[in-house]
Amino acid sequence: MNRVLRSVFRTGWPATKQQRLQAMLSSLVLHVHPTRVRVHVLRPSYTLGLGLVSFFLFASLTATGLALMLYYVPHPQAAYRSMKDLEYAVTFGMFLRNSHRWAAHGMVAVVFLHLCRVFFTGSYKPPREFNWVIGVGLLLLTLALSFTGYLLPWDQLAFWAITVGTSIVAYFPLLGPQLRYLLLGGHEIGQAALLRFYVLHCVVLPLAMALLVALHLWRVRKDGGLSAPPHASQRRVTAWPHLVFRELGVLVLVLVAVNVAALLFDAPLEEIADLARTPNPAKAPWYFLGLQELVHYGAIFGGVAVPTALVIALLLLPYLDTDTRGVGVWFARERRTANALFAAVALALVVVTVIGTFFRGPNWAWVVPWAR
Amino acid sequence: MTLDAQPEPAPDPALERRRFVAKLGAAGFVAGAAGLLAALLRSVVPEVLYEPARRFPVGRPADFAPGSVTFVSERRLFVFNTPGGFYAVSAVCTHLGCNVNHEEGRGFACPCHGSTFEEDGRVRKGPAAWPLPRFAISLSRRGELVVDTRRTVGPEFRLKA
Repeated sequence: MNRVLRSVFRTGWPATKQQRLQAMLSSLVLHVHPTRVRVHVLRPSYTLGLGLVSFFLFASLTATGLALMLYYVPHPQAAYRSMKDLEYAVTFGMFLRNSHRWAAHGMVAVVFLHLCRVFFTGSYKPPREFNWVIGVGLLLLTLALSFTGYLLPWDQLAFWAITVGTSIVAYFPLLGPQLRYLLLGGHEIGQAALLRFYVLHCVVLPLAMALLVALHLWRVRKDGGLSAPPHASQRRVTAWPHLVFRELGVLVLVLVAVNVAALLFDAPLEEIADLARTPNPAKAPWYFLGLQELVHYGAIFGGVAVPTALVIALLLLPYLDTDTRGVGVWFARERRTANALFAAVALALVVVTVIGTFFRGPNWAWVVPWAR
Repeated sequence: MTLDAQPEPAPDPALERRRFVAKLGAAGFVAGAAGLLAALLRSVVPEVLYEPARRFPVGRPADFAPGSVTFVSERRLFVFNTPGGFYAVSAVCTHLGCNVNHEEGRGFACPCHGSTFEEDGRVRKGPAAWPLPRFAISLSRRGELVVDTRRTVGPEFRLKA
């Protein structure tokens, strides 16, 4: 028995410092880490563990998603029925679906918070410019994955949210209508569109995500580890156990949070999609409700101009703002203007999202959520 | 300057040829790969659509009471039977594709973003930028009203039937 174990884990449980350094090198999973890490970046108050949380949420989503795929049939006449099967006939089916739903919503939120953390600590400055760009790609992939997954239940909520979302695509200049035609595989949301969204959601986007995640993590190492101010303590500790067990702790927290949410709250499922009946109000997924609120003032303004400008600004940011003072510190004094600007934009996004989610009722008229 | 003054080494014709063939090979590979990629992307554009026909019957004229407005739900349009004749107005909001509701005498209202339209389809209040289109309507040989959503018509269009 011991011989078999030894053939798998060559070094055994690392006891001495030498073995701890070696452990990081001799394992495929562990060698993603450095052998030693700076104490500065290990403090939870510095990173809040947000990147790691996003990663574990993605891993959890992959696991539950694969299990859901065994029951889900991507056809308008079967999709809704498979949701009902998951709810009533599959052991732990509803639990799986809840877990997948809440982890997905959580991932959108955590990835956004991670972006804020990286900005407020100035961690996109040279030499980390390109990793910021990859991060923007990961944010867009997260939104795309969430959006394509939103259609799959084929209920009223899904159908009309995707109707609104894909209509925005058609507003893009020049190629908008063709892009929508390509995305839907036709003129309307039907069998072709469902299959396309399914393939994107289950194969294309997760593969792209896994690839970019690998690149993102690799670049963290190649860019010299997580950002830290030059004057910070250079003290390093061995990654085993200081980093590895902290990560394990984050994994436990993530799993507990997702599964408690899955036990307490059921994922919504409305009536089957009905082309003839638009619910009033028809709302996009919550993370796009800020855009929907802006779209209310004008489709090109809210649906095209604002998101395009935001993405371009995010992509160009690390190449325009290259001053490396104040890197590695939250809200550095040297970066007061940049932080204030970013906070204003982020806050505006949060405000319009809250308005779209809670303060808009039938016919997109104002309502107060506590008056119902 | 002294470097420039040195005589060029005589080109080796065999080496030149080898370089040329290598370049040719690389160019061929790039062209072939680009072609394959183009074919792959082109295949993603569907040619056959398994969706409802865009020209379809909606019923006999007698099915629509005089002066009535009927929502043909599975086709997402309204059929008006006015004293002047029949006409069809799209129920798909030109803003972002939700179904508009008809409010008798007060035009149409969209539940998604609050656009409202006049009784004749013109925009009363945005965010919608364009009027609700009107579709050509004709009488088939079997005596049915046939709507063609590929053909839009002006506000004066009426079908006497």
